[in-house]
Amino acid sequence: MRRVHLVLFVLYFTLSVTPAQFSSIAQSLSVKATAPTKARIPEITLPKREGSLRVVVFGDAGSGNKVQYELGRVMEEYRQSFGFDLALLTGDNILGKKSPLDMKNKFELPYKSLLDSGVKFYASLGNHDTAIERFYAPFNMDGEEYYRFERDGVSFYALNSNYLDKKQLDWLVDQLEKDKNAWRIAFFHHPPFSSGGTHGSNKEVRAILHPLFVKYGIDVAFSGHDHVYERVKPQDGITYFIAGAGGGIRRGDLRKGSRITAAGFDSNLSFILLEFVGDEMHFQAISLARTRVDSGVIKRRD
Amino acid sequence: MRIRHVASSYIFILLFTISITVAGQSPSAGAVDNSGANKVIRTVFEDRVRQYASRREELERELPPLAKRATAEELAAHKSALLEKVLSDRTRAVRGNIFTPAAERMIRAIIVRHYPGRTRVELKKELSEAETKNVPVRVNGIYPETAELVEMPPTLLLVLPQLPDHVRYRFVGTSLLIVDRDSHLIVDYMANALP
Repeated sequence: MRRVHLVLFVLYFTLSVTPAQFSSIAQSLSVKATAPTKARIPEITLPKREGSLRVVVFGDAGSGNKVQYELGRVMEEYRQSFGFDLALLTGDNILGKKSPLDMKNKFELPYKSLLDSGVKFYASLGNHDTAIERFYAPFNMDGEEYYRFERDGVSFYALNSNYLDKKQLDWLVDQLEKDKNAWRIAFFHHPPFSSGGTHGSNKEVRAILHPLFVKYGIDVAFSGHDHVYERVKPQDGITYFIAGAGGGIRRGDLRKGSRITAAGFDSNLSFILLEFVGDEMHFQAISLARTRVDSGVIKRRD
Repeated sequence: MRIRHVASSYIFILLFTISITVAGQSPSAGAVDNSGANKVIRTVFEDRVRQYASRREELERELPPLAKRATAEELAAHKSALLEKVLSDRTRAVRGNIFTPAAERMIRAIIVRHYPGRTRVELKKELSEAETKNVPVRVNGIYPETAELVEMPPTLLLVLPQLPDHVRYRFVGTSLLIVDRDSHLIVDYMANALP
C-alpha cells in the first residue's frame, strides 16, 4: 500500500512539475548537497584542444557579497582544470559605492586567484557602473568606454549599451567593416533578447544593434542585466547569451514558456566557459554548485 | 453628375485624412528636424554645451593626468579633484544656461515626436521604476555613484542634438539632465521632458 502511495506521489510530482521547474528544483537540491564548498574536480565537457582560446564570461557580479566570493573560488577551480586566461565582464562590475576599498572588495579580492594567475579581464559597463571605471587598470579598457581587442583570430567588441550614441555606432561599423577575423563576438550589458522577468529584451538596444550584428557578421553576443543565465535561440543566425548571474540570482525570474529560450537557469549563480576551436565555439554554463547547466557548440556564421 | 460629385468629395476627404494621418505620425519616426528656427536653436544649444565641455577640459588639464591604466585610488582622487575644480568654476551656473526655453521646447518636441502616445507612457513607467530616487535634480548637484545610470534609449540619442564626449544626457524620472561623464556633476536639466 505504501509503495502505491509512493508511486502515486512520484507520478503526481512528475506530472505537475514542468521540466524547467524540475531542473530548478534539482539544481537547488544539488546546491544544498554541495553547500559545504568541498572542492571536487569540476566536470568539463569542452574539448580542451591544445592551443585553443579559452574564455570565461560573467556579469552583474560586483556586489561584494559572500556568494560573489564563492563563485570566484569556483571559477578558479575551473581555471585550474580548464585553463582559461581571458574573462569577459558583461557589466555592473562594481555595484553601489565605488571607493578604492569597494573596488578591492567587489573586484580585486573576489577574483584575486584569477588575477594572480594571469587571467586578463575585459569589462563592459553596466547601468550601475560609472564611466570613469574605463581607466581602472584591471578592467583593461585603456580609457575607452567601448573598444575592440583580438586574440587568436577572434575579435571581441566591448560596447557601452548605456549610451549607444552616433559616435559609438559609427566606430562600431567602421571597426566591423575593417575586421579581418572570422570570429566576431560582442559583449555589453543590456540584452537585446532576454526572457528575464525583471528587465527582459531591451527593444531599443535590439533595434539599433541587431541589424548591425546581422549585417556585419557578429556571431555571438553576451549580455547581463537580468540576473540569470539564458541562451537564446539563434536570432537571424546570431546566438545571444545572458550571463548576468555572477553576483546574485533572481530565482525563478526566467519567463516560463518563453519562445526565445533555448536553455535557461535561474536558481543559482553561474558563469560560462568558452573554447574556440576553428569554426566552432564550444560553451559550458556552470552553476555555483559546480553543475553543468547548459553546454553545446555554436558554428561560426558564414 | 451628382454621383461623380459625391465620389470626388469622398476621394478628397479620403486623401485629406490620409495626409493628416501621415503628417501626424512621427514622420520618419524621429528624423532630425533641422529646419529654420530649429536649426538655430540646435546650434545655440550645441554651442553652449561645447562651451561647458571645453572649459571643463581646460580645468582637467590643470590636474595631474589620469593614466589610461589607473589604480582605484588614482581614479577616486582624480574624480574628486575634477569635481572640486569644476564646481568652484560654476558658482554662477543656473538652470537654463544650456536648456534655454527655446531649447527645451525643441527637445520636448523631438521626444514627443519620437515617442508618440503609448510608447511614451511605457518609457515614463520604466523611468519611474529606476533606482534614481536619490538623484538631486538641480544644477551643480552630484549624480550619486550609487544611483542607477539609466540607459539612454539609443534611437532617441540619434535624433537629439549630439553632445561632446565629456557630457551625457540622462533621464531621471521625466527630467532630462546633462551630466558630466566623469565628475557626475549635473550641468543643467529640463523638467517635464517627457510630458
